[in-house]
Amino acid sequence: MTDFILSSLIFTPLLAALVVLLLPARLQKPMKAVALAGALVQMVLAILLYFRFDGAAAANGQQGYQFVEKLNWIGFSLGSLGRFQIDYFVGVDGISISMVLLTGIIGVIGVISSWTIKKNVKGYFLLYLLLLTSIMGCFLALDFFLFYLFFEFMLLPMYFLIGIWGGPKREYAAIKFFIYTLVGSLFILIVMIGLYTSVIDPAATAAQLDMLQQGGANPNVILQVQQLLQQNVIERADIVRTFSIPAMMEPANFIPGSLLHVLSGTVLWDLPIRFIAFLLLFAGFAIKVPSVPVHTWLPDAHVEAPTPISVLLAAILLKVGGYGLIRIVYPIFPDAGAYFAVLVGGLGVLSIIYGALCALAMNDLKKLIAYSSVSHMGFVLLGLASLTSEGVNGAIYMMFSHGIISAMLFLVVGVIYDRAHDRMILNFRGLAKRMPAYTTFVVIAFFASLGLPGFSGFIAELLVLVGGFSSPDITGLLPRWLTIVAVFGLLLAAAYYLWALQRMFFGKYWIFPELREKAILTDLNTREYLMLVPLAILALLFGIFPHLLLDKIGMAAQGFTELVLKNGHEQLNMVLSTIIK
Amino acid sequence: MKVQATNLSQSIDAIIAGAGSLLPELLLAGFFLLLVTLDLFKSRTIKQLLPWLALTGLFSVFILQILGGYTSGGVQFLNLLRSDGLARYGGMLFSAAGIFTILLTLQSKSLEQLKEGRGEYYALILMLVLGLNLMAKSINLLMVFLAIEVVSIASYILTLTLKQEKRAVEAGLKYILYGTLSAGVMLYGMSFFYGFTGSLNYTEGTFWQALLQSDYLLVTIAAILIFAGFFFKISAAPFHFWVPDVYQGAPMPIVALFSTGPKMAGIIVILRFVAAFADPAVAAYFDDVLLFLGIAALVTLVIGNFTALWQKTPRRLMAYSSVSHAGFLLMALMAFGTNYTSSVLFYLSVLLFMNYGIFLFLQISEENFGTHKLEHFTGLGHKLPYLGVMALLYLLSLTGLPPLAGFMGKLLIFSNVWEAYTSSGQTLLLILLVAGVLLTGVALFYYIRIPYYLFLKRNLTQENLVISLSNKLLLAFFALPLLVLFFKPDLLLHYIEKLLAQTL
Repeated sequence: MTDFILSSLIFTPLLAALVVLLLPARLQKPMKAVALAGALVQMVLAILLYFRFDGAAAANGQQGYQFVEKLNWIGFSLGSLGRFQIDYFVGVDGISISMVLLTGIIGVIGVISSWTIKKNVKGYFLLYLLLLTSIMGCFLALDFFLFYLFFEFMLLPMYFLIGIWGGPKREYAAIKFFIYTLVGSLFILIVMIGLYTSVIDPAATAAQLDMLQQGGANPNVILQVQQLLQQNVIERADIVRTFSIPAMMEPANFIPGSLLHVLSGTVLWDLPIRFIAFLLLFAGFAIKVPSVPVHTWLPDAHVEAPTPISVLLAAILLKVGGYGLIRIVYPIFPDAGAYFAVLVGGLGVLSIIYGALCALAMNDLKKLIAYSSVSHMGFVLLGLASLTSEGVNGAIYMMFSHGIISAMLFLVVGVIYDRAHDRMILNFRGLAKRMPAYTTFVVIAFFASLGLPGFSGFIAELLVLVGGFSSPDITGLLPRWLTIVAVFGLLLAAAYYLWALQRMFFGKYWIFPELREKAILTDLNTREYLMLVPLAILALLFGIFPHLLLDKIGMAAQGFTELVLKNGHEQLNMVLSTIIK
Repeated sequence: MKVQATNLSQSIDAIIAGAGSLLPELLLAGFFLLLVTLDLFKSRTIKQLLPWLALTGLFSVFILQILGGYTSGGVQFLNLLRSDGLARYGGMLFSAAGIFTILLTLQSKSLEQLKEGRGEYYALILMLVLGLNLMAKSINLLMVFLAIEVVSIASYILTLTLKQEKRAVEAGLKYILYGTLSAGVMLYGMSFFYGFTGSLNYTEGTFWQALLQSDYLLVTIAAILIFAGFFFKISAAPFHFWVPDVYQGAPMPIVALFSTGPKMAGIIVILRFVAAFADPAVAAYFDDVLLFLGIAALVTLVIGNFTALWQKTPRRLMAYSSVSHAGFLLMALMAFGTNYTSSVLFYLSVLLFMNYGIFLFLQISEENFGTHKLEHFTGLGHKLPYLGVMALLYLLSLTGLPPLAGFMGKLLIFSNVWEAYTSSGQTLLLILLVAGVLLTGVALFYYIRIPYYLFLKRNLTQENLVISLSNKLLLAFFALPLLVLFFKPDLLLHYIEKLLAQTL
């Protein structure tokens, strides 16, 4: 059954969505049950995959991907341009396994959290399940086209989920979200076109050239094809171009003379075109992360989105940005990754500090948490930019940990908003007296997020900082002061969380007079326990036993850094040499 | 006398030999005459029969073109018309457009209630499709002019179908004025070309060789003048001013036809015309013309997309969307050195379905719910989710988002442009490419306004709204290919390639 486990992961929610579509609109309970079942099956499959996944397997090249499924999807020839090949190509490696697990877990939490939705239940769960499918697809796709398809398809359900079920300013927030991320994906589209017109599939090209004997495309044949390609002796019409991300990671697969080839020497605005491609891709994914100059859609989207959608947005949607950087941007453009390390790391640190400062200034609890997300995702950029094994491990760990913790944070905000229809920090005081269990979970979530040892956030931040500090010595990419500045982010996080805790939950019980009539401040109910307890346990579990995840990530992160560093420096020299010449 | 006689008999032989290749056109002309004649009878049953008769005619032409075999590869008719794969595929698109137009008309209440001129309405659609077919087949400048005029005159009258409405009259008048102006300009440019070369057959190498010997400035100006006429037909800037008014004034099925038929035929004519530019020597001599084309494409893209942002009525919005698509197609034609024909034809096929879909949606909502402004769509999507979702599909395909065929079409065209840039290194291509991609973001901003009102805004009135089953089926019929062609574009691409290879 593990043959199609990845496809099952992707398409289970879609199947559930079809069932929801066919149910008549008045059957709300069965609809919710179907959605829950879909998400549960997806989670079980994800957990199963997590246990089956062999973390010790080598991670370099195509061998690193496990449970691979590859099917020809679209193939057509464009005359003199040769053939184009789009595959249904999915696989999982140490980088994606954590994200798959996270998506599985958060998907179920989201359905439970959506249980109280009343407006147009059918449409809601339909969109929700479509969203789950496309997010899972994003994390599993190894074909750029497939990735892009899922990446773009996330926007639409999200737009409607915010725009129809959101708060008072939902229309504005929804359109802002849509436009921001669409512009980001258009940047990605430009580079995607450039990449696939430049990259060949060596195995398929070998088949086109009749070079395959018995035994299929063995490494020798592939090497031979790559050599022939670089000597420019393969006829254009015989070249098979591909969207495959692993193929794009090998510089030997680039067609000589194509613009994105390392030796193309093309310069635009005084920058090699490969660097520009990197910057475009980076911008596209940075919007999703979000990194500071392009983060402004996030607070709006979060504040207006209904609680379950906020959870999904913070916990898994943002991770697609960081994941894209690790899966696509750095391996394909390692040279530019090395060249722009300070820029990426700098933006990361800027996000950490600026996000934290903004969070400090917020009166709306949900906005505070939204900005804390910006701050925490900055660590992902910093860890990645350091290109040390610790840093990259930390970046991936941070994405996972932030997924768990931010889900908790948005859920606890949802709890108070459900009861009081308000979430301004200054409108409440001494909530601990009225809602002790709730306060306990708030404290757990806040402390987990600010990086208290014992919680997963601590491990992630520690790894990233270790990576950042060792970067000057090991890779020489980041200056040491950058990481020192980042440490202040931890301090600020402690400040805004503890201050909010003090203002809202401690002291004498008081609530803003206008809210008193409507607010019924009961403590947590079973449904809320059902969501918060597992998340708290997970945050602790992965804080105390980090090897649970690091064992799976480790080899992949190691392979990633080695590949990016080695290729990066080699290619950087080549790119720069062509330009000086 | 004897010489004349042999000439005559030779001509007659040539006409007879080539007549087979004109079978679709002859069939269309026959049905046109039949319709005009039957329209003279006062009987109600005959009047009821007219649309179905027109439909039969178009459908048989469509089938004929799919089956092929009426012409042996690439036969030329008196050096005027060439029936190759390109023309054949174009012909399929045009007959499909004609069929869709009549299907939309049958769903339209205001056209059903039309007191007079119903017969000529259907006849003129046939005539227009005939003109489009001739446009796609023309390899002679004079024939191009004649074909364009046939299309234009049919279009003028069709615009005026609802002549009791003031708006229609204004639109018709504007259309005629712009049309005659650009036709005159085009004819003037063609006369220069004839003067230089002594030939009108612009697909021949000698024609272009002769031009290379002529005065650079005059050739450049003459070429730009000719393009003026083509631009009018495909509604590219700066000849797009008629578009919003005509879209506002003409009946919806006719608007849908204008947004696809003449545009597709115009693109095919330009395609044949610029094919000569693939030769570097010719392209070098026509560098200013190419620059003009590139800038025109860019300006059309920018004007179309940005002006659409300010529109308050759905019809005008679609008018500027149509302008932007013209710019996009012009950009596609700039990718010399690549095999862009099949990509362009693919995009045109997708355009056909998305435009008819969205105009059917607009017709349904305008006639049943009076949506003359964008705000009027408020809450409609909640009441009629099916209609709303279909509209969403068309609009997203028009924007070019996956998983819809509009994205595939754009991807193919962008790939060609990128490839052309790689091989030629022309900055203009890169600018066009980047503009084309980024303007998609702008396009989203105006297209999404319709779903925005449909779904995000709520309308509190409690009316029971229904749409007919036939409308529902038609909506699905236009939407289905958009999904299929995204997931399996190679089905159509293979077919187009086969067709192009067969008879070129």
